[in-house]
Amino acid sequence: MKYLFNPFIRIAGLRSLLLGWTAMLLTAAIAYFSHCHFDGVLDAHVGPGGEPAWVYLLEPALSWSCAVIVFYIAAVAVAPSGVRFIDIAGTMALSRWPMLFVALLCFIPAPLPEEPSKIRPSLIFLGLAMLVFAIWMIALMYNAYSVSSGAKGTKRLVSFIIALVVAEALSKVLYYLLF
Amino acid sequence: MAPVQVQRLTCTRCDTQITGSFPLPELLQLTDDELQFLLEFVKKSGSLKLMAEQLKLSYPTVRNMLDAIIGKLNTFSDTEKKKK
Repeated sequence: MKYLFNPFIRIAGLRSLLLGWTAMLLTAAIAYFSHCHFDGVLDAHVGPGGEPAWVYLLEPALSWSCAVIVFYIAAVAVAPSGVRFIDIAGTMALSRWPMLFVALLCFIPAPLPEEPSKIRPSLIFLGLAMLVFAIWMIALMYNAYSVSSGAKGTKRLVSFIIALVVAEALSKVLYYLLF
Repeated sequence: MAPVQVQRLTCTRCDTQITGSFPLPELLQLTDDELQFLLEFVKKSGSLKLMAEQLKLSYPTVRNMLDAIIGKLNTFSDTEKKKK
């Protein structure tokens, strides 16, 4: 259970980067067929489909890149000793692996109703399940940041929250400009 | 528990004994696990990478363990300076 939320005690650096990239590639492949879009560091939405495959590949890559850049800057600012870029890049890549389940969940047909009173149970289930996996991913990101930066206490929590908000905003701006 | 202090020092050659209140060396104030970690770290020529391989932990985890020990040693030094 401990390693489900903090595998970074044992895995970091290049190993976590390769594992994370593999998971991201698999997620992108599944997302292509389930029409799931990861259009932000914390975002996942079901689309109508029809977009080229490179869109599904670029979306998680862009989200990961934004997280890596912002969290690396935050880690350098608050870390008590040196921070390795490869640790932030690797652990942040592995943190995204719960999104694989989100991409699978998007196969569940859950059309948006015209009126709020006609919401189907499948849509509520999909929303809640996606939320659970998003929380899992945020917990992983927090532990990734903690282990990679070595920061402690309030400084760690505050810098994490700020970095998460900035990374999300940056990714949204980049998506808006690119797509 | 309050900090432990040495009360008597003895010369092993002439058996002269000095009684007083002497602070323990900083390294001896660490726990057994921390001392073992430092010993292994020195034996590995200060390589965090080799330590991570031996302990089957990630590199940043081992670096954080070392940082925690450094922090503790700094606290001991500060406490001693304040006493003086």
